Amino acid sequence: MTTNINPRLTQVFRFVRCSYADGVAELVYAFDHGEELIERVRFPNAPALPANHQAAFDQALKMLHLIAGVSYYKAGVPPRIDVVGGPLDDATANLLDELYLHGLAEFAYRNGLDLRGRIQFPRGGATQPEAKALGLPHRTLVPIGGGKDSLVAVEAIKSIGGDATAVWVGNSPLIAACAERTGLPLLNIQRELAPGLFELNRLGAWNGHIPVTAVNSVILAVAAILYGFDSIAFANERSASAATLEYEGQQVNHQWSKGYSFEQLLSDWLHQHVAADLDYCSLLRPFSELAVTRAFSKLTPYFDVFSSCNRNFKILGPKPADRWCGQCPKCHFVFLALAPFLAKPRLLSIFGRNLLDDENLAPGFDALLEYQDHKPFECVGEGAEARAAMYALSQRSEWQEDTLVARFIRDILPQLDVSELALEPWLEPSAEQRIPKRLQPALAFFA
Amino acid sequence: MKFGGTSVATLPRWQNIRELVASRRAEGARVLVVVSALTGITDALKQMCAQEDKGKRIEAAKAIAQRHYDLLDHMQLAVPDTLGARLSELAKLADEGPALLGELAWSALVQAHGELMSSALGAAFLSHSGLSTRWVDARDCLSAIALPNQNERTKLLSAMVEAKPDPALNTRLAALGDVFITQGFIARESQGRTVLLGRGGSDTSASYFGALLKAQRVEIWTDVAGMFTANPRQVPSARLLQRLDYEEAQEIASTGAKVLHPRCLSPLREPRVPLLIKDTNRPELEGTLIGPEVREHAPSVKAISARKGITLVSMESVGMWQQVGFLADVFAQFKQHGLSVDMIGSAETNVTVSLDPTENLLDSDALAALASDLAKVCRVKVIAPCAAITLVGRGMRSMLHTLSAVLAEFGQLRVHMISQSSNNLNLTFVVDENVVDELLPHLHELLITAGALRTDDSALFGPSWQALYGTGDVLPPAASWWREERRTDLLKIGAGATPRYVYHLPTVRQQARELKTLAAVDRLHYAVKANTHPAILKALAEEGFGFECVSPGELKAVMAVVPESAPLLFTPNFAPKDDYAWALTTRATLSLDSLYQLEQWGELFRGKEVVLRLDLGRGLGHHEKVRTGGSGSKFGLPVEQLDAFLRLADTHGVTVRGLHAHLGSGILDDAHWGEVYGQLASLAERIGSVTFLDIGGGLGVPSHPGEARLDIAALDKVLREVKAAYPHYKLWMEPGRYLVADAGVLITKVTQTKGKGNGQIRYLGVDTGMNSLIRPALYEAWHEIVNLTRLDEPATSLFQVVGPICESGDVLGTDRRLPEPQEGDVVLVAQAGAYGKVMSSPYNLRDEAEEIILE
Repeated sequence: MTTNINPRLTQVFRFVRCSYADGVAELVYAFDHGEELIERVRFPNAPALPANHQAAFDQALKMLHLIAGVSYYKAGVPPRIDVVGGPLDDATANLLDELYLHGLAEFAYRNGLDLRGRIQFPRGGATQPEAKALGLPHRTLVPIGGGKDSLVAVEAIKSIGGDATAVWVGNSPLIAACAERTGLPLLNIQRELAPGLFELNRLGAWNGHIPVTAVNSVILAVAAILYGFDSIAFANERSASAATLEYEGQQVNHQWSKGYSFEQLLSDWLHQHVAADLDYCSLLRPFSELAVTRAFSKLTPYFDVFSSCNRNFKILGPKPADRWCGQCPKCHFVFLALAPFLAKPRLLSIFGRNLLDDENLAPGFDALLEYQDHKPFECVGEGAEARAAMYALSQRSEWQEDTLVARFIRDILPQLDVSELALEPWLEPSAEQRIPKRLQPALAFFA
Repeated sequence: MKFGGTSVATLPRWQNIRELVASRRAEGARVLVVVSALTGITDALKQMCAQEDKGKRIEAAKAIAQRHYDLLDHMQLAVPDTLGARLSELAKLADEGPALLGELAWSALVQAHGELMSSALGAAFLSHSGLSTRWVDARDCLSAIALPNQNERTKLLSAMVEAKPDPALNTRLAALGDVFITQGFIARESQGRTVLLGRGGSDTSASYFGALLKAQRVEIWTDVAGMFTANPRQVPSARLLQRLDYEEAQEIASTGAKVLHPRCLSPLREPRVPLLIKDTNRPELEGTLIGPEVREHAPSVKAISARKGITLVSMESVGMWQQVGFLADVFAQFKQHGLSVDMIGSAETNVTVSLDPTENLLDSDALAALASDLAKVCRVKVIAPCAAITLVGRGMRSMLHTLSAVLAEFGQLRVHMISQSSNNLNLTFVVDENVVDELLPHLHELLITAGALRTDDSALFGPSWQALYGTGDVLPPAASWWREERRTDLLKIGAGATPRYVYHLPTVRQQARELKTLAAVDRLHYAVKANTHPAILKALAEEGFGFECVSPGELKAVMAVVPESAPLLFTPNFAPKDDYAWALTTRATLSLDSLYQLEQWGELFRGKEVVLRLDLGRGLGHHEKVRTGGSGSKFGLPVEQLDAFLRLADTHGVTVRGLHAHLGSGILDDAHWGEVYGQLASLAERIGSVTFLDIGGGLGVPSHPGEARLDIAALDKVLREVKAAYPHYKLWMEPGRYLVADAGVLITKVTQTKGKGNGQIRYLGVDTGMNSLIRPALYEAWHEIVNLTRLDEPATSLFQVVGPICESGDVLGTDRRLPEPQEGDVVLVAQAGAYGKVMSSPYNLRDEAEEIILE
């Protein structure tokens, strides 16, 4: 172990090596000349890799090594990055520079660090020839997150009779329960962080948010080549691209790796380096949170299993309080966004309580509305979206006497321009998306 | 005697029925057996009715017939003609479809076959096994009546029968034999068509027959021994109700109990036929006997129930309510939107009503539409999700004074509505739904403690559900070491100077060893505030315990006795800076619980590792004053300040090594620690430096007779589950009272007695009181009190056991049944090992109780 080494004083972060055998990928990192940090990603029932997929697989695995490194790099944020096998081609280095800078922006803000100019992956390596099509089977990996979005994506693909597999990384019982409920074939990939990381934490490592969606995305890219899928359909919506705040001239977006920039970067990189016929996209990209929520409001069978709460429920219970903490911005936002589309008693039965009738939660909802506060560091909709939902409730008799709705009517609404509060514009799709042709018809699910 | 679907589905169950019927015959009774269809058959028949395809209907009828053939095979019986006829009729009905009879009438007739077939089969089995049994067609006895507001559907599928005693039927049956079998669920209407009785139909049939025949008794044989004081799924310690009157039983059935449909009681009320609920599998259990009003018992709450998913509509308007017809208009809106009102509460300017969770409410716009219509005439507020908690008992109003502890509990919650019906049978509180699961067992306990639910009356209340049906081993109440083993020693001590505290070290060790069986727990600290006697500290150090101290004084006392190797934890609350500074010079691990400590004295802690005590936002425990969570409590850092705390810690180079939360004391439900543990673990995941979680103590020690002990094995299971999810955190606990409460007693002597109110109230004075043991006065704690000198004499009178302190609150125990005492008798107050001596005071300058150790 890197005993007595303060990770914050390290000089080099090294990508030592990566390998794959028998369904297990080993990703190895180190700080300076310290102990190796070995992460393992386990792919269950992995089939033998077809020979003509090997090159594509190696590329994807290498990218997994590079992207998953972000969990370790952030422990020390040393000034130098060293990659085994020499410098990267420019496209790869660009993607990583962008991801590490923007994906760690919130981490940097919280820890009072400035990473600009600090993150420089070695570049100048030979450019790879354009990857060919592998003839991957026409089926889709749909990552399940336990929240409403991925379930909407699942149902949209089901609605066009698409062949899909519900996939998730890790062992959250909540996600497993949601995945089970979809009725799709299941694939559960395990990620084991290097035990040395816990030791580094104990020794005072920097800690904070990492762009976990990027890590999961590239795990699924490896899985797609391994098991044979031609598409990976995430469920990141439009608002994921919006910044949470600006800090010393830098945009800080909690969900940067769920945003459109990263989707474009990774999708192009996969086409170029891995397989021309491997599509990576977000099925919900054209839609606002509200449009997705409206689609979800019709999916009653999921109401008693899903949760968007950001508290990590490792132990599930039957009560709403076992899935919804009621305190975090995700709980607040999903409650607010579902409210215009569900009968009030049904909504309250999902959450087990009425979050809008609890005056203690006023600061939380204020943050969502961007009233007297910045947007919270969470995967939540845009402020204007929250305001539109709140305005819709303020016009409804069964809601308007609830403490926080009444407060909105009294204190906040007079300061707003009502013409900007309509719900309907949010339900319209936008053009920005790169959903492959095969899955385009699924968009009709949101009409 | 009525038997349900599962009771008639297999050969062993039929053999059981045969024995039960035979035993009633042996008592000289003539028996009419009412049966349901075999389990699953009614559903199969319903599905068959919904099937439009004739071929599939015929298939379904065949499958249903097969179920009966299989059972007959098992009975080694040929298909009796009576059953054969039914089966061919069913086949014919399947073939014909609904066209001829009309959809509803056909469907009723098809469904009636379930009971027709099971009863035919039963008649054959009983007769064959030597009990000559006549098959009776229920439709020849039960005539459905026409009611206003009845449509064709309700007329045919949920019919009513007016059952008046009919001596002619009695005579007719008497001529035929002694044992009869008939069908539940079905009757005949005036045009001769077969009708169904709807939900709870078979029980209702039994009641109708009971009334028609003016039977000696109606017996409902089912899978549980009767009604309980609460839903056993929510309150495992719920007690069997052995005696109820019709109205109470009906109220309990309406507010939650599933064992009996409320409608089956009314036919029996007028002819005063009692109804007995019995467990088919455990016929030896007493069951619940429901009959006319029971007068010879003191008024008691009989049951507590909760209904969830309730929505309240609160309507506020000034001055409108008095206008003629205003309320009628308001209620017309509910009718128009198809929402049915259950409870109503009203004030001068507000009317609040409750709605039950129907599909119309949950999945349509009905409520939104209702609210916008109502909003035109008043201010509307929709409050949900709520739960109605109902106390049931005859003469509720006369019991209000006993409910103060219960009402105090409601005082801490948002109570949206209180309703007390004019029939004086119930009292209902509507509260937020999310509090109910924890609240209900607690209220049940409080009702017993407060003497409102008189479980001491063994004529009314039977054993607990846990004792009758609980899974796993029922934990017997621990035998107190002093009763047998040390009685003579204690009497000897009592003969000397009193008061005296006596501690029994083997009990301390036994409790310690029991806790050490908690495999998930990595370290146990004894919360020394419970009892700081050096012998106890030493004994626990020998058992490998660490020690949790809350003041420099406690730390010094511990360090003076325990070896250097024993871990120490210092967890003060609102302590001065100097306490922390001093504790930092010791080996104790320090716990912080506010931002202030880091904001103001941050540099004091630089480079140190600390435990952070969190307030998870809720408190639990046996009394308001022992709750240590929730914003009403001064303990812990509120979770929302966690990020701020961590930033401060970082600034001052302080490492948060552990997270700690403690919800309160006297908690007997093992699930709570799992929740705290899970919650702490999920918070710890956000803090890299944390290596252990401390879930506090508060392990409950039962005080009342019959109260179940904390199930350590179950607790271990809960903890291991969480541990499996978060293996990288060590788990700590801090039990205090659990280790020492039962290990100590207070020995005192009778000084005098006094009678007041014509001798109605009797006081028994002892030579110490709240100066030695303040828990009864401070927490309303219940301590067992016995007259040790007269342990074997019958307890004949009720006493208020009081001490010599000049305070009306100086009461050690109220309403205690004890033998007639004499001055100088030795009295023992049990469970005084925890928070006894340590909380004693020199008030009134009375001598303090000395402490004696029994090895």
